[in-house]
Amino acid sequence: MTDLLVLHTLRCMGFTDLERVAEATGLSIPETESHLIDLAVAGLVTKIPSPFGGWGLTEAGKAADARLVAEELAASGSLPEVADAYETFLGLNPELLDLCSAWHMRPVGGVPEVNDHKDAAYDGRVLTRFTDLDRRAAPVCHSLTEALPRFSRYRPRLAAALARAEAGAMEHLADTTTSYHAVWFQLHEDLLVTLGIPR
Amino acid sequence: MRFIHPLTPTTPPPDPDLVGAKAHGLFTLLNLGFPVPSGFVISTEACRTFLHDGRFPEDLSSELSEALSDLAASAPDRHETGQPYRGAGQPPTVDGPLLVSVRSGAAVSMPGMMNTLLNVVSTALTDLAPPPHAAPSFERASPKVATRGSDKADITDAVSFAETSDSETPDLETSDLADAAGTNAAAGKGDSAVRSAVEAVFSSWNTARAVTYRELHDISHDLGTAVIVQAMVFGDRDRHSGSGVAFSRDPSTGERVVYGDVLFGHQGEDVVSGRFPTRPLIDLAGRESLVWAELVGALELLERHFRDVCHVEFTYESGRLWLLQVRPGGLSGRAAVRAAVEMADEGLIDRRTALNRVTPRQLKAAHTPRIRLDGTVDVVARGVGASPGVATGRIAVTADQAARMAAHGPVILARPHTSPLDMHGLAAAAGIVTTVGGPTSHAAVVARSMGKPSVVSAAAIEVDTTAGCVRTSGRVLTEGTVITIDGLGGEVVLGSPEITTGDTDPHLARLLTWAEEAIDKGTT
Repeated sequence: MTDLLVLHTLRCMGFTDLERVAEATGLSIPETESHLIDLAVAGLVTKIPSPFGGWGLTEAGKAADARLVAEELAASGSLPEVADAYETFLGLNPELLDLCSAWHMRPVGGVPEVNDHKDAAYDGRVLTRFTDLDRRAAPVCHSLTEALPRFSRYRPRLAAALARAEAGAMEHLADTTTSYHAVWFQLHEDLLVTLGIPR
Repeated sequence: MRFIHPLTPTTPPPDPDLVGAKAHGLFTLLNLGFPVPSGFVISTEACRTFLHDGRFPEDLSSELSEALSDLAASAPDRHETGQPYRGAGQPPTVDGPLLVSVRSGAAVSMPGMMNTLLNVVSTALTDLAPPPHAAPSFERASPKVATRGSDKADITDAVSFAETSDSETPDLETSDLADAAGTNAAAGKGDSAVRSAVEAVFSSWNTARAVTYRELHDISHDLGTAVIVQAMVFGDRDRHSGSGVAFSRDPSTGERVVYGDVLFGHQGEDVVSGRFPTRPLIDLAGRESLVWAELVGALELLERHFRDVCHVEFTYESGRLWLLQVRPGGLSGRAAVRAAVEMADEGLIDRRTALNRVTPRQLKAAHTPRIRLDGTVDVVARGVGASPGVATGRIAVTADQAARMAAHGPVILARPHTSPLDMHGLAAAAGIVTTVGGPTSHAAVVARSMGKPSVVSAAAIEVDTTAGCVRTSGRVLTEGTVITIDGLGGEVVLGSPEITTGDTDPHLARLLTWAEEAIDKGTT
């Protein structure tokens, strides 16, 4: 079960380093590394040793993950709940993308220009809208966790990113690998994989 | 009428607060004698009343019926082109009712935030005799939302098709509206499809995205949107039909040359969907010389009217040009500077106006590095600039390849689109090009967060990961070929062309000289 947790977490994160996988799974770093090594021996994950490298799934790993996740969903009998949550998520997703764009870009006379983050009032409004979106996203995470417990990590991860932004580290909205946007995108990827929907 | 303003020449044009900015532009076009499809505007006041009372204003119901009857009655006047169909246009396979577009248009531009519905069947025509060549058909006359083009693209961007930037679909499903209209039809209510569409546009003022947009940009929630109802024109009607966007000056450089995109045989929403590669507007000159000449003439006249750069959305149907929208301004950074300086040189505006036209933030953006676009540059594609800056590197067509190749020098990652699975490639690349997806796509958001130049919607490029190459209009660029991208202008260029910064820009230098002179004279 933990093997699927690590495998599937990495699947949704794409390519990343050990620390990020550990943070996302909630396991300790040695524990996570041990699982990754087991998975690598089984040919399901691989480590690319370059400055831009990290851990990622092999094609066999992706196939195994898709199969295991499908089996898990079927066994839980929670397909309707997950599908419903996905529908709600899709309604919120354009808003999240709008907010990320608003964080990075700010139109001047209808023409998008890079947001230089010198207008604290504007950035504050973006943060307020993130908070509002998060309030409406929370029930989605809750329903998903009820349906499949492994979704339980998203709520605290999203909340942590938002809390860091609210504490002044605004880059945690959309500029880091642990940002609200990054976690949100993993949740999106997770829903697609879980429901077997091609991207 | 209290709520409805017919689209006819009106001097001065009605207040934009009442009819919205888009309709205000349409009145301007009409006043200047340009061809605009017949129709009418429902005021923002009607929207406010609807949102306040939670139901369709009674006066509006009767006004709407009357306006639709008038529209239907005026439609046969359009027969001067000799086309055997009613109204401004009809798809070749439908001979019966008039089809209308129902578009949102607030006083303040809110691109992509509200709904627009196309091909709504106006049932007012069911009372009228069908045209002589048409077989009577009750089925056709029943209210419904035609779904030509079939998918959700039929309900597209709210403000304009040129501003559609988001690949996400709007809230309203075609089928919802069809159901609502169908129910009304069963109840025997006329005009129900148009009415449902108007209600849908009114309601879209309060979608979560629209609310967020207004919060972010300090726009009052009380304004409401106007609704523009016009006879449809069909850019996909025949081989002498098409749609496009045209700028009076190149929006990327500010140079005084008509610039734009055209899509032959397609509707307007296809121009910006990214699903079809557009052609440079100049191709229209060889294919429809009369339409081209009329369009160029219109842009010239509109520049003189607005004393500013402007752009129009147009559709031409069976060789006949229709203007669907006009907007002044809309240039960024150095393009805005060049246009302002040259318009002053041409005597279109004075130097003081030129100085006032360029905002401090445009001035700042004028320092963004750009590709110097002279005649020698080989532009392989022009997409949408999603993250400003210039990057040069070797093409990689997968994230894995990008990560590998980046160890030996800068890489440009070219993908149809990206997902979190491409993160290592995005991190490794110096710049990112995608062929589908707009400025809010994953690739665009990630590129901006990493401060890397990015071009999206470069639809002229096809990424072939199997063959390990990029194809574009008959050419093959294999992986490893050096290209340069401009994340402001959206250009994808072969090789490593000269790059300019604001410091060496002659137009910026002149504008700054004028500013100093104005300060010396104490005129600012």
